[in-house]
Amino acid sequence: MSGKTRFTPPQFSNKILIIVGGFGSGKSEVSVNLAAYLARTSSEAVTIADLDVINPYFRSREAASQLASLGVKSLIPGGENVHADLPIVIPEVKGAIEEPGGTLILDVGGDDLGARVLSSLRDAFPATGYDLLLTHNANRPFTSDLEGTLKVMSEIEGASRMKFTGIICNTHLMKDTTSEVVLTGLKQSREVSATANVPIVFLSAVTEVLETMDPELIDCPILPLNRSLLKPWERQAPTGGN
Amino acid sequence: MAKVLMKGNEAIAEAAIRAGANNYFCYPITPQTEVAEYLAKRMPEVGGVFLQAESEVAVGNIVFGAASTGKRVFTTSSSPGISLMQEAISYMAGAQLPCVILNIMRGGPGLGGILPAQSDYFQATKGGGHGDYRLLVLAPSTIQEAVDLTMLACHLADKYRNPVMIIGDGMIGQMMEPVEFPENYTEPELPTKDTWAATGAKGRKPRVIKSLFLDPYKLEDNSVVLYNKYQQMKKDEVRFELYKTSTKNKVLIVSYGTMARICQTVIDELEEEGVSVGLFRPITVYPFPEAALEKEATRKNIDTVLTVEMSMGQMVEDVERAIARRRPVEFFGRTGGIVPTPDEVKKQIKELIKKKHGAKTRQSTTKSKKKG
Repeated sequence: MSGKTRFTPPQFSNKILIIVGGFGSGKSEVSVNLAAYLARTSSEAVTIADLDVINPYFRSREAASQLASLGVKSLIPGGENVHADLPIVIPEVKGAIEEPGGTLILDVGGDDLGARVLSSLRDAFPATGYDLLLTHNANRPFTSDLEGTLKVMSEIEGASRMKFTGIICNTHLMKDTTSEVVLTGLKQSREVSATANVPIVFLSAVTEVLETMDPELIDCPILPLNRSLLKPWERQAPTGGN
Repeated sequence: MAKVLMKGNEAIAEAAIRAGANNYFCYPITPQTEVAEYLAKRMPEVGGVFLQAESEVAVGNIVFGAASTGKRVFTTSSSPGISLMQEAISYMAGAQLPCVILNIMRGGPGLGGILPAQSDYFQATKGGGHGDYRLLVLAPSTIQEAVDLTMLACHLADKYRNPVMIIGDGMIGQMMEPVEFPENYTEPELPTKDTWAATGAKGRKPRVIKSLFLDPYKLEDNSVVLYNKYQQMKKDEVRFELYKTSTKNKVLIVSYGTMARICQTVIDELEEEGVSVGLFRPITVYPFPEAALEKEATRKNIDTVLTVEMSMGQMVEDVERAIARRRPVEFFGRTGGIVPTPDEVKKQIKELIKKKHGAKTRQSTTKSKKKG
């Protein structure tokens, strides 16, 4: 992909990246893409744990075999339980948090309801050394303004017993996403970032839209997305250079 | 209004509020629980009623009672929960009460699974409860259409004083798409409810809302009134959509809901390969668009009609009935929560065409015999 070099990629000093956010903000798509990106660019092992106990469909576990081909290990319930929407957290998740090995991405369910699972794992986490990242989509009804987003953030912090360390700006409208949608979202994420005093760690958007944009306008690292959690009638976009 | 990104369940919930259905009763069940989640937050903002009951049996009867007051009432559930509501639905149809019921269908029978299905077609269209009654049943295929049809459902329920059901496979509830809500929503005028609604009998004669008629002549009269309403629906409320139907079509697909969108992908891709296929998508599955389907299916070049469903074949019976043996009707479906892939459907169509052409050269006599 020719556009890749134009953008600064996201970088993390911590081994554990916890992806949370409002319901339907795009956590799973971001998690899957982040895992794929790290697997391609770093020599360290990458593990993704699907901790979504809220959604029945469109979960990162659906991309498990896709990720396996890139060497990413998925921690998901086995057997029939992979299809359940039950609060199942397999024991391996706790082990991975205690000893991540390489990078561990935790894809957590939406809102405070989804984030509650972190509270039950709280004791396994080291005192520092993890990132709690808010996925922010300003086109979602309950995070479309500053007030609503701050409310969701404080509810997630309360339920998880953790503090935010970063914001992922992921504003989109699925197929109707334009550069304008992305930039308006970035503006709103900046406002959240300034008020909550939490930095924006990266912006994520689909490659097709990013390629139409002036990189100068985006003053943060960027994760280009190749959509992986598709609707049954959608076909995967050709990935280019991979 | 600007577009927002919403999950189907949330969008339908918001649409109900916009249409003034501010009385919502529910019991949670996957894959429709987000409707309740959303309305638990939104109803207090609009001064509406949100009540989670102890079971779907209770929900059905609360809806029955609430609908008697003439207020707009809305409930949602998924397959097993809808089964539990059937008694109340039959009572409401009998007592001529309006309400809107959403069924986000999952795999069945029994508890089944939690993945998308369309296997409640019989239940929705043929009467899940007892007695001579029908529901007006709408089947959206996009989230925007789910919004529009939810608002329409509220209107039609009042217009016919009959329960209206919206059926969506699990995908309609769970997927996210950008939607827009109408800026200024105005409904066509409706007759006053102040001839039948239980609004307090102070200063007037009490009104009785019931489905019990011990006198068989009165019970028959009531069924005739209902029957006449359904005949009216057949005249005025039939809705469907055509996609790439033309005189070149060899095959006509009949499919509804999100299954129709998978078929659209198939049709687009086959078109590029030089194979012409059209789609007939019923939007009202009761009343079923019989006459329109018959017309489309019996075009000169169409060899085969293929019904594609996320079930073992339920709508296919209505398709056969509409076409009345004038074309062969084939069926393809997956069930239990498995959503057919575009490739599977495509393969099926190619095989049908191959079979047809093979049959033409090899067994022309048998074919003409069949035709006669």
